[in-house]
Amino acid sequence: MTLTRPPATTPAPAPLVRLRSRLTAPLLYVVSFAVALGLATALVTLAGHSMGDALLALYQGSLEGGASIGQTIDETTPLLIVAIGAIVCARAGIFNIGQEGQLIIGAMAGAAIGLFVPGPGWLVGFLALLGATLAGAVWAGIPAVLHYWRGVDVVISTMLMIFVAMQVVSFAVNRDYLLQETAVKGQILSPQSNLLPEGVRLPRLGEYPDFNLGTGFFIALAITGVVAYLLRYSRWGFRLRMLGMNPVAARRAGVSAAALGGGALLLSGGAAGLAGGVMLTGSVYRIQAGFADNVGWEGLLVALVARNHPLVAIPVALFFGMLRAGGGFLASTGVPRYLVSVVTALLVLAAVFPAAYAELRKRRRPAAVEA
Amino acid sequence: MPPSTEQSRPAGTAVNGTAVPSVELSHITKRFGSVLACDDVCLSVNPGEIHGLLGQNGAGKSTLMKILTGLVTPDHGEIHMAGSRVSVNDPLAAAGLGIAMVHQHFSLVGRMKVWENVTLGERGRVDRDQARRLVKEVGERYGLVVDPDAHVENLSTGERQRVELIKCLRRDPGLLILDEPTSVLTLAESRELFSVLRRATTDEHKTVILISHKLDEILHATDRVTIMRGGAVVARRDTAGTDVRELAREMVGRELSKWTAASAVGAMDALIVGEQTAAEGEVLLRLTDVHATARDGRPLLRGLSLQVRAGEILGIAGVEGNGQAALGDLLSSLLDVDSGTVEVCGSAVNAGKPGAMHRAGVGVVPEDRHGSGCVLDMSVAENLVLADLGEVASGMFVSPRKLRERAARLIDEFDISVPSPDTPMRLLSGGNQQKVVLARELAARPKVLVVAQPTRGLDVGAIEYMTERIYRAAQDGIAVLLISTELEEILTLAHRVAVIHRGAVVGEMKRADVDLERLGMMMGGQIA
Amino acid sequence: MDSIELILASAVRLAIPLAFAALGEWIAERAGTLNISLEGMMLGGAFTAVAGAHMTGSPSAGLAFGVAAGLLVAVVHATFSHRLSVNTYVVGLTLNVLVLGLTSFLIMRTESRQVDKLTIPLLSDIPVVGPALFDQRWPAYLLIGLVPAAFWLVHRSRWGLEARAAGENPGSADVSGIDVNKRRRQALMICGVLAGFGGAYLAVAEVGTFNQNMTAGRGYMVIAAVIFGGWLLRGTLAGVLVFGAADAMRLALPALGYELNPQFLIASPYLLALIAMTFFAKSHRGPAALGQPFVRGIT
Repeated sequence: MTLTRPPATTPAPAPLVRLRSRLTAPLLYVVSFAVALGLATALVTLAGHSMGDALLALYQGSLEGGASIGQTIDETTPLLIVAIGAIVCARAGIFNIGQEGQLIIGAMAGAAIGLFVPGPGWLVGFLALLGATLAGAVWAGIPAVLHYWRGVDVVISTMLMIFVAMQVVSFAVNRDYLLQETAVKGQILSPQSNLLPEGVRLPRLGEYPDFNLGTGFFIALAITGVVAYLLRYSRWGFRLRMLGMNPVAARRAGVSAAALGGGALLLSGGAAGLAGGVMLTGSVYRIQAGFADNVGWEGLLVALVARNHPLVAIPVALFFGMLRAGGGFLASTGVPRYLVSVVTALLVLAAVFPAAYAELRKRRRPAAVEA
Repeated sequence: MPPSTEQSRPAGTAVNGTAVPSVELSHITKRFGSVLACDDVCLSVNPGEIHGLLGQNGAGKSTLMKILTGLVTPDHGEIHMAGSRVSVNDPLAAAGLGIAMVHQHFSLVGRMKVWENVTLGERGRVDRDQARRLVKEVGERYGLVVDPDAHVENLSTGERQRVELIKCLRRDPGLLILDEPTSVLTLAESRELFSVLRRATTDEHKTVILISHKLDEILHATDRVTIMRGGAVVARRDTAGTDVRELAREMVGRELSKWTAASAVGAMDALIVGEQTAAEGEVLLRLTDVHATARDGRPLLRGLSLQVRAGEILGIAGVEGNGQAALGDLLSSLLDVDSGTVEVCGSAVNAGKPGAMHRAGVGVVPEDRHGSGCVLDMSVAENLVLADLGEVASGMFVSPRKLRERAARLIDEFDISVPSPDTPMRLLSGGNQQKVVLARELAARPKVLVVAQPTRGLDVGAIEYMTERIYRAAQDGIAVLLISTELEEILTLAHRVAVIHRGAVVGEMKRADVDLERLGMMMGGQIA
Repeated sequence: MDSIELILASAVRLAIPLAFAALGEWIAERAGTLNISLEGMMLGGAFTAVAGAHMTGSPSAGLAFGVAAGLLVAVVHATFSHRLSVNTYVVGLTLNVLVLGLTSFLIMRTESRQVDKLTIPLLSDIPVVGPALFDQRWPAYLLIGLVPAAFWLVHRSRWGLEARAAGENPGSADVSGIDVNKRRRQALMICGVLAGFGGAYLAVAEVGTFNQNMTAGRGYMVIAAVIFGGWLLRGTLAGVLVFGAADAMRLALPALGYELNPQFLIASPYLLALIAMTFFAKSHRGPAALGQPFVRGIT
């Protein structure tokens, strides 16, 4: 990584430099995405498959026909909700990485309510979503309390809580007196819950195999819109930004970090919990240990790629959702669906690289050429 | 990276006849964005001398020294040492050339032991016993006593400075650079430091560059002085052949006004004392026997009591690190009391509750405006609001229109030069940032105004502006608490002076009764 | 008596791969990187080791392949977070997704022979501790040298002094002439080597084959061990042993007729780490600049 600079005696004409730097930014993005896709192609080809087939399958699975588009949107929904929560938290200067756990705990609470609370379906469904949100918030609340009470690092504690959450759910779905499915004659019990009753599920618009989508998507969009507006224009958003950018100045100005920051952490957990609830009542309908399926992690990545802008998170989440939906279709071509994870990760790296590289260039200290 | 030797020296830069300068910087230019930090600077220092580098904050002294120590790479210019050209690309290269620097902000790692810190940045095997022995040896040679096995985080600021000095001296550098070394020291400690430096130059023929903005310090301790202003060298003098007035004029660049003469320059005899009569208003701020501790259990305030009346400026004098920061934090609700009370306008305030002081009517212009006075990544308009959201909000929402209106009004009233209210705070000059902070605090119509180190790091115009504003605030009936380590600043403005030492007020006197000798002793803790 | 011997032996056996990775993570964290990609390093090491063993026919050569994979992950992580200053958690997280995807994608139904056991005669017959300590696969005995070496590296060597300074106070380290990000990159690479070896050990020494996601969160468990151990080497190793014991009990207790909730045992490392952080906050101080990127000029 040697930086070639013109000799000091002949300063480069300024307009040219400016033009070059204006061109390099988009160019860098193009190059790094090309490299990412190139790597993915090489991988697929080396494994003896055709990248063309894989791309076609990804397209078919995510965009071709109403059902596929609906599938993409279903995958997008929880990612977007998780990302919005992560964004609120990041704005307050707190890094919550435990969404995977908060999500599954939310889903578990939703399942418990949906399965065991009597009442009209729409009400129980609503309560399930509410319960999921609260459970997610509680799960994020524990790190919040530990942080503001004992100074425990939030990144570490939210991460550790993921694994505790997994085992809590695993515990619940392995106990027939808790969430494990009820035995039908002669059936071997699996560690999973019963399916939610029809009435409790989120309604779907349209019928398979035509275009159909879960109404959860509208919940996600509404949350995104509201959060974007509040962050931009409300007193709460103002104070949240102040806290995130300079906690000391914020405290001086009367912002209580524990209340506002802790609140943001709870909101972020609540969002992850709600995402779990929406997955549960909108598409999956039952809880099991593998329920979260990396949605929490990927939702967090959506927020990061969107650079903490709620509205930018919508297209990013849709893109991630497309990959996830397309992944289901890959199997038909013989390409393992795990290709999607690889591509996702490569694209995230490709997305963060250009800005970071430009920043490094700007610092342009020859230290980069050390010995 | 071995220093490239090239025997040609640019003509016309040698200053002092026959002696080859031990270090010579020629035509150094460094630009940070739009700021020209060093503009074609030439500096030549002879072996065995203490060379003063005088200039106000922002004059380019620190940048120049960072270039010499390899922390900053210049855009142009050359460095010669003992006649041969060298390239200093990083701190390690500087160390290899025998250049060592005592930084203004210490370069120590708190959770490591003294000997570990001293050996940090060396090469080769870590030899604990040898390092300990060296700490003791170097300490004895220069009279810097410190326990090699103590953890640095447990040491006082004075002791830390000793460690810092030992860290530099143990490498036996030919050139020692000190950046504002006395800002955290008592008078006695400063004298001790200068005698150490004198010993190093006369006995061991080392070369010392002393960066300072304090005239008496330069006059007292140096052989020659180079004066910088606005990134350029404006004068070179033999210390013996100059006086305070000349130095001050060169440093500031014009005849001094009433305010700057005293507060910017830092010379006792340049003082012009206004006719300050203590107002007999009601007591607006009263601290009674306040005790406070840091998170890690260190005591910060130990029974501090003071009161400030309406229309009065109370100056808190003292050596840095004696509880001034804690006092400022306390009055900004950043620190809670263990015992004692804080009363504003006669009613007690719950100090540790976020924003409580602000609500009670205490405005604060804090010591570190970057750290807590403003939010650099928010706009000027937003920074003019921060706590007073109510004024620009309708219901739950912030009204962008009201926000801009308020900003426009304050920018006009306080003469802040800024392209637009939406400009990010980060892009403003230090002086304008300070104006924003002051404007915000005064706009809240405070009963009490706390100003901590209000002019630190500002240019002359801004210093004058701040000083006048503070004076006017008191005239308008605000109780002003001025916390400063610049004695001159306090003597210029204050009606009464209180001395803070080890977290308590140890003495108090009317401005008219100030006896400098006595004040100095109190600040050093010799008189209770 | 017999069952204690059995559980102890199995605890040590399960702790060994963790111990290799823990040494690495400890070094990386002391230099200021909370290395989340440890999971990816281990998983990559496990996969590559089996693939390498399959190709070369030698399980020992497989170990070398595993080390290379761990190092590769570390190089990518170090470049992104300590050259380009990208948030280290983002990078770590992404790398974990990448490695999991990659290994799952490339998975081969191959078997690897296990490396040989090195049973030390006589000593292995000592009751209770004998089988645990003296009847392991041969690479396990590398730990005898690696543990003191790691301690020496961090606490006695020049490099360690500089790396610790980089983790505690990067600003001061920089001013003292230490290339903070270089030390952090190096620490991360050492971590990659050790974690890759740990993963490889798991695959070719313990299991003898590669399963999808076979590390199953062991990387995170190791991170928990470093936290549990209060960022001290002895504490970290104690954590690894305790977590190994929890795992051993989960496997062994049902067979021995005891009821102990397996989910609780699986969750226990994470709970213990949380408890340690909560209640021993004073002694459990991580490096002050842990997880914070260092950029010169921002003070």
